[in-house]
Amino acid sequence: MIQFQFITAFLLTVLGIYAFLAKRNLIKLILALDIIDSGIHLLLISLGYRIELNQIPTAPIYTGYETLKSPMVGPLPQALVLTSIVIGVCVLSLAVALTINAYRHYGTLDVRALRRLRG
Amino acid sequence: MNGEAILPYLIIIPLFGAFSMPIVNLLGRKAREAWAVLISGATLIVGSGIFYSVWDTKEILVYTLGAKSPLGQGVSFPIRIVWEVDLFGAIMVLMVTLVSFLAVLYSLGYMKHDTGLDKYYTLIIILELGMLGIAVTGDLFNFYVFLEIMSIASYALVAFRNDTWEGIEAGIKYMFVGSIASAFVLLGIALLYGQYGTLTMSYLAVKLAESPSVTAKVALALFIAGLLFKSGASPVHMWLADAHPAAPSSISAMLSGLVIKIGGIYALTRILFSIYGASISVKTVGWVIIIFACITLVVGNAMAVIQNDMKRLLAYSSVGQIGYILLGLGIGLAAYGSQTGETAMAGAIYHTFNHALMKALLFLIAGVVIHQLGTRDLNELSGLAKTMPKTTFAFLISAAAIIGMPPLNGFASKWLIYESSAVFNPILGAIAIIGTAFCTAAYVKVLYTFLGRPGESVMKAKDPEGSMMIPIILLTAAIIVMGLFPWQISDKVMIPAAKALENQLAYIGAVLGGA
Repeated sequence: MIQFQFITAFLLTVLGIYAFLAKRNLIKLILALDIIDSGIHLLLISLGYRIELNQIPTAPIYTGYETLKSPMVGPLPQALVLTSIVIGVCVLSLAVALTINAYRHYGTLDVRALRRLRG
Repeated sequence: MNGEAILPYLIIIPLFGAFSMPIVNLLGRKAREAWAVLISGATLIVGSGIFYSVWDTKEILVYTLGAKSPLGQGVSFPIRIVWEVDLFGAIMVLMVTLVSFLAVLYSLGYMKHDTGLDKYYTLIIILELGMLGIAVTGDLFNFYVFLEIMSIASYALVAFRNDTWEGIEAGIKYMFVGSIASAFVLLGIALLYGQYGTLTMSYLAVKLAESPSVTAKVALALFIAGLLFKSGASPVHMWLADAHPAAPSSISAMLSGLVIKIGGIYALTRILFSIYGASISVKTVGWVIIIFACITLVVGNAMAVIQNDMKRLLAYSSVGQIGYILLGLGIGLAAYGSQTGETAMAGAIYHTFNHALMKALLFLIAGVVIHQLGTRDLNELSGLAKTMPKTTFAFLISAAAIIGMPPLNGFASKWLIYESSAVFNPILGAIAIIGTAFCTAAYVKVLYTFLGRPGESVMKAKDPEGSMMIPIILLTAAIIVMGLFPWQISDKVMIPAAKALENQLAYIGAVLGGA
């Protein structure tokens, strides 16, 4: 079975890195950071998805597990990704706030204009 | 003193202090400042207690969050978050709490004329919290979370003066570079988790030793890349030279003195020695780091010579000094298990501590100069020695220490690195000496300016009073006193720390119990 989720995660990360290197607009750079993060999150979350005995895994809830007996997805990656999403939101909001300030000082969102510091 | 019992307070106190700051702020300016000093002072006491406890008992502190075994008995692997402090971690804890306390004390006078200070003190304590977390954690994802707490606080603090374009531009550059580096680290953690199914550092070390894989090597490459970014090693040091001068001086002291070491060097050392250890080809990885170190120490120190901006010069000098620390780390890894490697690692740890004190002092002095004269252009600072004698004396001491003059503290640590690099490979020793030559030139240039003919603008300047002078005096005294006992400190603290770091089995056994 082809594991599409890993291919998608790889493509998302590469796409993000490409956008980060090729784009010049601050907003697009922030989006590129988010896409890279999403790719890594997808990778992490798919690590927890395990198909055993040809059964689709269910949510990791222990109550009633004895009667159900079906495989469960790994709960740890989900916790990690939740934490990581929260961190991503922090970085995102800070980035947007800085971008607003940069627009006030420079009058443009072009990252090439941010070259006044030298030496 | 029972280190295990006070370890959680290392995180609880700053966490509580930071987020209660907006409430305390309602009581006025005095209450806010007192609260900031009280919280960072209490953290300093806890940090010293932990350092003393680890140093005294020579054991690794382990603290488990939550129940020791949440699934009941019979689970053979650790499934909870652990904190683990060995002697190297304890030295870092002491360093962070000490310099942070002095930076907060200094901020009282230095930031007096700024607005939004409740947010400033909140952020500075969160920054301290993040660094302490990295120093104590024994869990990879926990490490990532603390790394991001530290990084986000430092992005915000670099851009704190958002009415100037300089802070904003530096903040944006720092944020993009730092976020990419964090993404690398996260990807590395995800790969390791996918391969081995655990995040506890010590259990991961066991798994890695049992079955090394290509995935682990890719993850290691990602860790090295991400953490070298964060430590400002050349050729990716450009953000550092922008970000550190643009921040307020008290923050520059913390960024240059602590953040690049904890978030870069310490994390890298912990991953290389405690997780990977002997399960990788230590020679290859060691040489990779040595090559980066040589580029860094030559480029950083050489770029420092041609700067005319005082804080920019100090920032480039930080890049150069990171090169020395990386050189010690690389040799410690390439000569893993031998006497030379131990000496080099001890030198790297010693220099990390010393450089935190010296560079913090230098940035605080730069802050005093900016406060008095409103400029940091070296061409306008001529003859400062006449009107600011105490500040110039402190600068003289710290510059001499960073160059590595005996009898100051920088001498011993640099000597250990020179000695081990010369034994390991004479060419590396020669490169290290060339770096020091550039470093000397840079600081002599600043001193020459300070001692030159007084210009008109400097005549009004005077030594600062009170809260700005106390941290400078304390740091100068620390440099001189540490310089008086170089080999005692090295034998009693730094060599055991390097030994504890190389003893991977003890690190594993502390969590897994005699594995």
